[in-house]
Amino acid sequence: MELFFQRLIDGLSQGSVYSLIALGLVIIYRGTGHLNFAQGEMALFCAYCVYQFGEWGIPVWIALVLGMAVGFAVGAASEVTLVRPISKKSPFAVFVVTLGLFTFLNWLDGAIWGNQQLPNSGVGSKQQSYPSLFPNAPDDFWQPFGVTIRYERAGILALVLVITALLFLLFNKTKFGLAMRAVASNTESAKLAGIRTNTVLMVSWGLAAAIGAVGGVVIAGLNSNVNLGLMFTVFIYGSAAATLGGFDSPIGAVLGGLIIGVVENMASGYAQEWIGQDMKLSVAFMVILVVLLFKPSGLFGTAKVERV
Amino acid sequence: MKSLATIREGGAANWAFRIAATVVVFALVLYVPTKTGAGTIQTAIEALVLMGAAMSLNLLLGYTGQISIGHSAFLGMGAYTTGILVSRYGWSPWYTFPVAFVLSFALGVIVSFPASRIKGVYLALVTLALALVFPQVVTWKKLSWLTGGGSGLPTKDAQVADTGFNIGAASRGQMQYFEIFGWNPLGDLRKPDNKAAFWYWIAVGVVVIIYLVCRGLVKSRVGRSMVAIRDNETAAAVMGVNLVATKAFVFGISAGLCALPGCVTAIKTGGVSPEGIQSLTVRGAITFLIVMVVGGAGSLWGPIIGAAVYVYVTDITGGWASDEAIPGVLRPFFGWAKIPPSDGIFAVLLIVLMFVAPRGLVGVWRQYSPRIVRVLPRPAGTTGAAPVAIAATITNTHSEGEHE
Repeated sequence: MELFFQRLIDGLSQGSVYSLIALGLVIIYRGTGHLNFAQGEMALFCAYCVYQFGEWGIPVWIALVLGMAVGFAVGAASEVTLVRPISKKSPFAVFVVTLGLFTFLNWLDGAIWGNQQLPNSGVGSKQQSYPSLFPNAPDDFWQPFGVTIRYERAGILALVLVITALLFLLFNKTKFGLAMRAVASNTESAKLAGIRTNTVLMVSWGLAAAIGAVGGVVIAGLNSNVNLGLMFTVFIYGSAAATLGGFDSPIGAVLGGLIIGVVENMASGYAQEWIGQDMKLSVAFMVILVVLLFKPSGLFGTAKVERV
Repeated sequence: MKSLATIREGGAANWAFRIAATVVVFALVLYVPTKTGAGTIQTAIEALVLMGAAMSLNLLLGYTGQISIGHSAFLGMGAYTTGILVSRYGWSPWYTFPVAFVLSFALGVIVSFPASRIKGVYLALVTLALALVFPQVVTWKKLSWLTGGGSGLPTKDAQVADTGFNIGAASRGQMQYFEIFGWNPLGDLRKPDNKAAFWYWIAVGVVVIIYLVCRGLVKSRVGRSMVAIRDNETAAAVMGVNLVATKAFVFGISAGLCALPGCVTAIKTGGVSPEGIQSLTVRGAITFLIVMVVGGAGSLWGPIIGAAVYVYVTDITGGWASDEAIPGVLRPFFGWAKIPPSDGIFAVLLIVLMFVAPRGLVGVWRQYSPRIVRVLPRPAGTTGAAPVAIAATITNTHSEGEHE
């Protein structure tokens, strides 16, 4: 039973990272109906930036805020310069452009920081390991009822819940949130009602990338280093979470992420022989496939009605 | 649009162009194994593998409009089929090609069933997940009795040396040295290490087969159904195209064809593992897509041009991580990068092409070549070969209605 709760806790904190990536995907999808394949790589770029800020001696929380600012800029700039003009052509063109952005950002990370793991004493990193947002020394844990709760993991979960709450307030209690919801439900009408849809879309992309940046920093912190392949699998988990929750539901994205995290941890823990660490990704694959086949709108999404 | 010269389709000048182009292609194909070193031949094989993979992806994405970032898994099916059959069961590599085709065809058909319900970017998501899961499955410890787990499979061990890649079991090791006017296209196969030229010809054969299948398919009734599905699925269904059957067939053919370059890679690399063959990983799948789009989606020659350009640029810029290797003029632009710039170049090229020429390099050629020489199509029904003319017109109409 203790083991069960242990896995539950670990799964929740792992899943909260997927929630962050999924939230980014959902915010963009709601605004423009596009799936941003570069979401994970935008987050990775920010994670590299935060590493760089750490090298310059900036405290980690300030570095995180700066990283989010970088993410906002990257996201907003991609929307304005690339996605908006190309979306007039075809959905396929948008897909190709986001894929191009994916490749370009990954290459850019490698070009600036090299293709080895960072921090790395071999290239003269001052930091011992990737900056962690929460205390993560070996004895930084809390042990109620035999369940080990590391401060780092509990902190991450709390951070994600705080971000979700802030987003909820933004969406539901502010004028800008109202504008975002209006654009999500009907861009044309929103435009006619005097909403600056272009600004809303730009901010949506920026916001999504900034939230992704938090995800990138957190996952790199858990991993204690950052490398070029870090986000490939995280992106798939994140999109599995978004699929499960429904692509147009922020709350679904968060819950989807948590569910995926728990299921993944349970599956790899209880089926050590069969799934273990090596086949974890197949869980995400099965979730995507099954949800898309049997309930394409996900758990909380609105079903899409297709008119012919 | 003014053009410098105008020639008629089927006229003498047109035929002269066609023959000249064919001669150039043949000469290039023959030049590589005869007049260049083993390094260039290996690079050429890489290009051929990429051509094959991109052409099979083109069938699915360029012509049928079904997005796939999972073709690395199909290529992997081919590579692993060859690897398993050769190293575990001692088959001759020749027989593994059809088996790989059939197995991969089956996998493609299986993937197509969800694909008939899942559309657009969601399909991209599913296939991306497939590309990421495939390396995990083949390195899975439960399957290591078959796939060799993380360390992969050897295909160049003692057994393989014994089976050889020489034509027919009886002529084992008996391939003769032969020359065409002093050129030696097959290399000296009596030397055990000199098989690069031979693998090259296998790769050429595979690419030719894939090209012919694609060409035949695209110009057939099925090809027109494919294009109809791409342009408007609902309209295609209304016109009587069987969506499920056509998609399943195209997925199968595309996957099966993509397995063949995989077999070539397995033979060439001499070992099969996700670490050893980058095309088996998701990076490979993205490369196929980049190659296809840069060359020209929905055109027969697009992937071929794209792969040639891709491998050429990657090969040239491969050493540019160190600044001294960069030619002087370009050094300020690429000197700061710690890794070779080819990925960045192609990412930028991909995005730029999407804006200015969504039909890739072939599209650019088609757009601007009429400014120099314009080929007037044969008026329909004027010659004895009327059906040919009609077929040509239909193909033209379809290739024009490409990106709506």
